[in-house]
Amino acid sequence: MYQDRTLLQEAETTEPDWIAMIDNVTFTYPGAEAPVLNGVSLQIKRGDFVAVIGGNGSGKSTLCKTLNGLIPHYYVGDFEGSVQVNGLQTLEHDVARLSRHVGYVYQDFENQLIRPTVLDDASFAPLNYGFEDYLERGQRALRLVDLTADPKEFIWQLSGGQKHQLALAGAVSLDPDILIIDEPVAQLDPRHARDIYELLRRLNEQHGKTIIVIEHHTEFIAEYCKQVVLMDQGRAVWSKPVEEALLELEQLRSSQIYPPQVTQAAAELAKIQERDSAGMDDREPNLGCFGLGLPHLASYPITLDEAAAYFQRLQQLEPLEPQKERSGLIGIAAGHVADAGAVAIKEASGISSIKDASNIAAVSGANAATGKAGMAGEGANCPERRVTSGNTEANTDVNTDANTDVDMGINADANTDAAPIIEAKHVRFSYRTVSRERKVVLRDVSATFRTGDLVALVGNNGAGKSSFMRLITGVTKPESGRIVVKGMDTAATAPEQLANTVTYIYQNPEEMFIEDSIRKDVEFFLKARRVEGYKEKVDAILESFGLTELQHRDGRLLSGGQQRRASLAIGVAMNPSVILLDEPTANLDIATRKDITRLLKQLNRHVETVIVATHDMQLVAEWANRIIVMHQGDIIRDGTRESVFGDAGLLEQAGLRAPQILELSRRLGMSPLSYTVDEFAQRWNESRKGAARHGVCT
Amino acid sequence: MEYVRKLMDRVSVEGVKIELLNTAYGNGNTFLARLDPRTLFLWYLYFGIAPWFIHNEVLLLGMFLLLAVTTMMSRVSPLIIVILCLGLLSQAGYLFIVSWLFGGGGETIMPLLKLTMKLSVISMASITVFCSMDPEKLSDGLLRIGVPKQVSFGIAYGYRMLPSLVEEYHHIFLSFRLRGVAPSRHGLLYWRSIVYFLKIAVLSFYPLILSIAKRTRTTVEALEAKGFSYAYHSREAKRIKLSYMKFTIRDAVFLLGSGLYVVLLYVLAAQFSI
Repeated sequence: MYQDRTLLQEAETTEPDWIAMIDNVTFTYPGAEAPVLNGVSLQIKRGDFVAVIGGNGSGKSTLCKTLNGLIPHYYVGDFEGSVQVNGLQTLEHDVARLSRHVGYVYQDFENQLIRPTVLDDASFAPLNYGFEDYLERGQRALRLVDLTADPKEFIWQLSGGQKHQLALAGAVSLDPDILIIDEPVAQLDPRHARDIYELLRRLNEQHGKTIIVIEHHTEFIAEYCKQVVLMDQGRAVWSKPVEEALLELEQLRSSQIYPPQVTQAAAELAKIQERDSAGMDDREPNLGCFGLGLPHLASYPITLDEAAAYFQRLQQLEPLEPQKERSGLIGIAAGHVADAGAVAIKEASGISSIKDASNIAAVSGANAATGKAGMAGEGANCPERRVTSGNTEANTDVNTDANTDVDMGINADANTDAAPIIEAKHVRFSYRTVSRERKVVLRDVSATFRTGDLVALVGNNGAGKSSFMRLITGVTKPESGRIVVKGMDTAATAPEQLANTVTYIYQNPEEMFIEDSIRKDVEFFLKARRVEGYKEKVDAILESFGLTELQHRDGRLLSGGQQRRASLAIGVAMNPSVILLDEPTANLDIATRKDITRLLKQLNRHVETVIVATHDMQLVAEWANRIIVMHQGDIIRDGTRESVFGDAGLLEQAGLRAPQILELSRRLGMSPLSYTVDEFAQRWNESRKGAARHGVCT
Repeated sequence: MEYVRKLMDRVSVEGVKIELLNTAYGNGNTFLARLDPRTLFLWYLYFGIAPWFIHNEVLLLGMFLLLAVTTMMSRVSPLIIVILCLGLLSQAGYLFIVSWLFGGGGETIMPLLKLTMKLSVISMASITVFCSMDPEKLSDGLLRIGVPKQVSFGIAYGYRMLPSLVEEYHHIFLSFRLRGVAPSRHGLLYWRSIVYFLKIAVLSFYPLILSIAKRTRTTVEALEAKGFSYAYHSREAKRIKLSYMKFTIRDAVFLLGSGLYVVLLYVLAAQFSI
């Protein structure tokens, strides 16, 4: 209530042009016990770009549906309070009238496309509202969202990104003043995600639309939005300008929202240093240095550019030369982008022997482009330097992702000894399209997977990732070439038989629910094979995935995160040697995403090889020990994260974007690059301590 | 084995989806497809019904020839033709065997042939008409002749959903395969495998129904927001939507040509008989 009152006061003093006013609205869905909206009050300025954030079930979507009148006209629940949109009371006007002021794009936007062809769908609403020039309006909408597809194209021929654009075109076809987009980037690859936000920005800045997005990705919010509304338990906790909102770290965290990685890093550092300086009185002379270096809460950076400037300022405050010589942790290395191979060796040599390190060098050298092979070779020529720097790292980076280092060790060994689990040789695959042409999905793909491989399969939509995984399961057969899984040729083996070895987890968990309860789904495989004592096994699996409570519920009725957990449980119950996951973290809020990442990290205890197709570069950076980049049906890189994220040209070609923190450490010239926030904070802090010890700051 | 694989590729779920979509939407450029839907309705009114009441062989044969030509003109997918032939042959064959068992003889062949001829004329008329109108045109045509909006919308929307439904069905079907156990032996004439596949083919429908029910929620909300129910009460919207429909010289030529041909057939039939 307190916050609500301050908002109202602000309205009275400055009197901006409110386009939407929600006043003390309470709403309960018919049949539900508790209200979803609980006395929410909120104002939205005309021309604003607003992000609505909040945990699952906080009422974000419901709030947005009050704006176009779906609530209370379509969902006739208990409605109290008032909503005014563009001067219209929503209680007095129906959905049809309000829809001309408010456009809505759903999270499952495919179901929102109603007509079979592009222009038809874009002009559907103007037609219904009786505009003579409905076709021109449709065309205008298509131009506005930059959809270049043939207007007569069938919608099932469009790519995911194009479908989203079309849904957006349908929403803007009536030229509404407000556009609501529910999770715009959830189903898109990184490049399309940015495209959509650029588009929204243009609609906002050039066409004066008020944009409201429901969004979990704070990195996009920081870059594109102007105002942030935090929802919690059916109320708007606050509405603040984005620079302030993303610094409310405590409140965000309690709502399961994670601030941008760069903000996290700055906050993390501040915390560490506050702790350090408080605990060490004898360091009195250095305190000034810390104080200078870390300004107060209000000025943490929220975007990459800001962060680069912020940390560069810190760097300038303390000359880094002496410490660069000492440990080599932070150095403004020129041309460091190209030294992927050498970095790979350095990291690995932190734990492996020289022999292992040269193995890796050979591998990454072979996989890298010619220029890089040279770099890797250079590294291999001077093993002594490598070992020294490796030792230094091992001593200083106690807490950095030890997991990854160990995995790398395994990988290096496996490359020489163990028999391959999966062997794909010159695989070609194509399918027939509706126009009866054959579309080639995989051209000539060869790859070998061994025990201990945690593989991330990356590349933009349509690069062939899912097709490749399906070939491994045996449900589709290669056109030429062959895939052998543990000695079985997939072309000659039924998928039922391969299922004893390989598990494939669908991108959409709902397609895995073939029974009417989670428990039945999990036990389906074991029951079909008459496994002894399967009941106990299922009990244990349900327990470890936190599904015991939900076991008798229908999978389709669970929340997104629960569905994902259930689909993983179904997979693990099959006790496979190989587990294939298609976009395991898509469509999840960040908290659930972390949960799934944690479960993924546990998987390799039971499973020999895990392959994940994903757009989620944070997951790739934190989890994988081998990355395969696919582009237009070919593998264009197969190597370590260093060889992928260190190669800007490759990322550009494959439409990938490195995680923000990695990008930051690159811009700051840190070497090796940091892959997680913790790693970054640790390295940065160590280097500062080093600098402080040498009295640079006095 | 290779041949079986190729055949399987054709009759796979994907293959069926492609054939269905092509049958529905793929023939937009033929002469017949450019006719006004009302012309086709009128035409169908005669060729779809009249053959039931015609017993003259010359007339039937003449119509059969005309419709064979129009069917070819509508460029139907071969799959449909195969299904049609199978249906007609099995129907005729079964009737012949039954009549023969119950004491019929050579003299039953003629009436059976006549019946088969009638059926094939009517079937080809249906194929010609419905393959020449994509679902959009069909639904607009129906709307124009006064069929309620829900029906015509249902046809258009049903076809638009078809590919996603088939795809989802396919995924569920594969889910069963990826977790189930196929019979270890095929059995006599593959009966074990056939039973196994038929069983999951049926079982896959249940999850499909449930997930469609869930999808529909967004669709219904979107329909509401896009003014579908608003347009229901608006004559204006209907007028604008259907304003593209026009009788042209093409329609006249088609109707007149068909009419003349039929008249000619009647003249011929009056003079000759088989």
